[in-house]
Amino acid sequence: MLLEINKLTKYFGGLAAISNFDMVVNELEIVGLIGPNGAGKTTLFNLITGVLKPTSGKVKFDGKDITGKKPHVVAELGIGRTFQLNPLFADYTVLENVAASFNLRPKSSYVDAYFNTATYRKNEADILNQSLEILQLVGLDKIQDELAKNLPHGYQKMLGIGRALAVKPKLLLLDEPLGGMNSDEIDFTMTAIRKTRQRGVTVVVVEHNMKIMDLCDRVIVINFGHKIAEGSPKEVRGNKEVIQAYFGVAHVA
Amino acid sequence: METAVVTAINSLMLSAMYILVALGFALLFSIAGILNFAHGALYMLAGYICYIVAVEFGINPWVALAGTIIVMGLLGLFLERFLFRPFWGNLNRTIVTAIAIIVILETGINVSLGAGVLKQIPDFASGLIETSTFRFSVERLVIFAVSAILLAFMVWFITRTKLGLRMQAIAQEREGASLQGINIYRVAAFTFALGCMLAAVAGCFMGSLYNLDPFMGELMLLKIVEVVILGGVGSIAGILVGGLMLGTIDAVLPQFVSGQATQAIALGIIILFLLVRPQGFFGRLV
Amino acid sequence: MSDSQLYVKGDNKITKPALYTGLVILLAILPLFVKSPYYLNVCILTFTYIVAAVSLRVILISGQTSLAHAAFMGIGAYTSAVLAKELGWTPWICIPLGALVTTGIGILVAFIFSRVRALLFGMLTIFFGMGIIYVIQVFSKWTGGYAGIMGITPLFGISKVPYYYFFLGITVVSLLALYRFEFCRIGKTLKTLDQSYLVASSVGIDEVKTRVLAVGVGSFFVGLIGAAYAHYTLVLSPTSFGVLQSIYLVMYVLIGGLGSFAGPIIGTAVLVIIPEAFRGLKGYSPFIFAGLLLIINFLMPQGLVGLPQLIRSRLEHRKGKGGTHAP
Repeated sequence: MLLEINKLTKYFGGLAAISNFDMVVNELEIVGLIGPNGAGKTTLFNLITGVLKPTSGKVKFDGKDITGKKPHVVAELGIGRTFQLNPLFADYTVLENVAASFNLRPKSSYVDAYFNTATYRKNEADILNQSLEILQLVGLDKIQDELAKNLPHGYQKMLGIGRALAVKPKLLLLDEPLGGMNSDEIDFTMTAIRKTRQRGVTVVVVEHNMKIMDLCDRVIVINFGHKIAEGSPKEVRGNKEVIQAYFGVAHVA
Repeated sequence: METAVVTAINSLMLSAMYILVALGFALLFSIAGILNFAHGALYMLAGYICYIVAVEFGINPWVALAGTIIVMGLLGLFLERFLFRPFWGNLNRTIVTAIAIIVILETGINVSLGAGVLKQIPDFASGLIETSTFRFSVERLVIFAVSAILLAFMVWFITRTKLGLRMQAIAQEREGASLQGINIYRVAAFTFALGCMLAAVAGCFMGSLYNLDPFMGELMLLKIVEVVILGGVGSIAGILVGGLMLGTIDAVLPQFVSGQATQAIALGIIILFLLVRPQGFFGRLV
Repeated sequence: MSDSQLYVKGDNKITKPALYTGLVILLAILPLFVKSPYYLNVCILTFTYIVAAVSLRVILISGQTSLAHAAFMGIGAYTSAVLAKELGWTPWICIPLGALVTTGIGILVAFIFSRVRALLFGMLTIFFGMGIIYVIQVFSKWTGGYAGIMGITPLFGISKVPYYYFFLGITVVSLLALYRFEFCRIGKTLKTLDQSYLVASSVGIDEVKTRVLAVGVGSFFVGLIGAAYAHYTLVLSPTSFGVLQSIYLVMYVLIGGLGSFAGPIIGTAVLVIIPEAFRGLKGYSPFIFAGLLLIINFLMPQGLVGLPQLIRSRLEHRKGKGGTHAP
């Protein structure tokens, strides 16, 4: 078990955004997290990564309790993530975006960095190489010097994934990576996600687009902050409650 | 006992002044997204314009007030169109413009009217109310009454009229509002003018109750910021509450401690408040 | 502060070392030709505010809007002046101490304010700045309160020349130090916070630690130059370190160009020297300042550093080449 979530609950005032949520993710799985808008998927990510503090419940990662820990600590422990609205380092180039994200491994001390020691220079060279590698994986190596803010939407999303990989995560949380993409981009992204898993990264994907089911080993369905179904993509597709959640009661019959 | 009543009226009046100015500032920020740091300086300018009309031309203060309001309204339209609209959405450049305006206004007033005898606008109403226990100037009551009516009108306007509702719509969701066909530029211009006119009222009244000073806008700007922070951005109820709080502090404390200390204490309260509740009393919308 | 104009967030390296070395050499030999104490004073003033502005920019590029920078300069100045006066220590010790005290206070304040961002943070710094003025008044037994402090121990004798070289030296060293700071990985990390603190923290950047570091570094240099300044002017008054002065410092950075290391240097030089040149206008010289603000703000979105590029594209436009992009 790489990630274990236990009775996670988050209240905003009187409203429960996430309610008694249990979830397990095993090594090298690709788990899909689907549900209608406002179901709480992004909130869940925010709770795991420490952007939000849970009201109650526990999150365990790689054997350690990470409940409520700050985002940069969670990143250091090995969780990378993308964001739904995909903020980026807008005024940095594509390459700089990824290079600037290499803050953990390798990590140069302030002294090394400031005085340009041999260690620092080696680290920076490593970072450059690894950044280019990541850019190749996400297909952005040809436009490495473009400013991030000038990229078309689909490329920006790929950059988001590339940047998350700079953390060298064991677990990658992708928040709607296919949003706003055309079908070529979607195919490319799904391939990239598969390749990422091959490199030893476990993936949890939040998505609207049902195509993601082709990729997932397991799917969890969430609505109104509750888990309403779990199982293989096939099982979930046929599940009455899931259909109800997405299409309304009339369609179940 | 009498000091209590007098203090109460003073604090209400001071609160009304703060609310008048802060309201214009807050509306402009909520609706047009413009942080107009020059608002204090405009308040000061209005006071001096009224002074010039009333004293140099010997016109009745109420007429001067009306004239000042009109002039400031027009000035507001001009400023929005030519100095603020080009920088919509760019906070840095808006601030630079505002600072330039402040410097121009303060310097201009200072070199022309700043020196020499203290300037004051003639009373808006004369006479004292004398009862067996206390005396109170009629002017303060009149000013408070007029301000209160004006504020009540503003609240009604924003919550009940079509234009007011449009303003609220833009404050909540600018893009959506413009897609609905609301002309945000026109509403922004109107809001700017409105803010200037409200500030003009406060400027003229304060200029009559106290002296005019070329730098009184700076102090008022500070009050504005304090009121908006206490009340919470985007909330009119918050402005009312914040203004009331600040007006009361500023009316009550100076009776016990020095003016300096009052400022410091008020500041301390606000900083603590901010650290505990950064969104203010009613952070978000009315 | 995160808009796209008057602030280009990329790494705008001004890589013209020859230009700068030449400039420093010129400045070094300047006192041989310029003897008038008045002009030397203007230079020293400019050096002081350049260091203040460049150190302010370190804080600004980490996404924190500080409107208390002049107050920190005051902390450095007053600490050093009071230590020298009350304890009789030589300025050569008091000045570094002043810088350290300023840094310590900066770190503390940055940490306390680290839970707040953007506009609210800026407002808090305004209040902090006002609070410092008030503290100066409270401790008026040592600081002279609003009346100010006089008779501060001088660094050198009557002549302004040693002071000129002293300040030139501090300025060059400080700028070099700050330049390296910005362009090594530390600076890159600072700038990520301004662009997106969400992304930055998701890639392992400790937001609080980085923000405190930025303020610490910025405070150190402004405290240093403030302390040095105290032992030059020998007279201090709290109004020189108020919110208005802090706002002016921000103007120096914005007008020069927030996106470039040279920005605050150029901005300060222009906004200090030009109004000073019009000193003869007496009370009217602030109009020059305001005029510069408006003109540069309207015509140069990137600030003064963007001027060469602007001229270039105008010329290309005129020549009918179509220009690289619309003005």
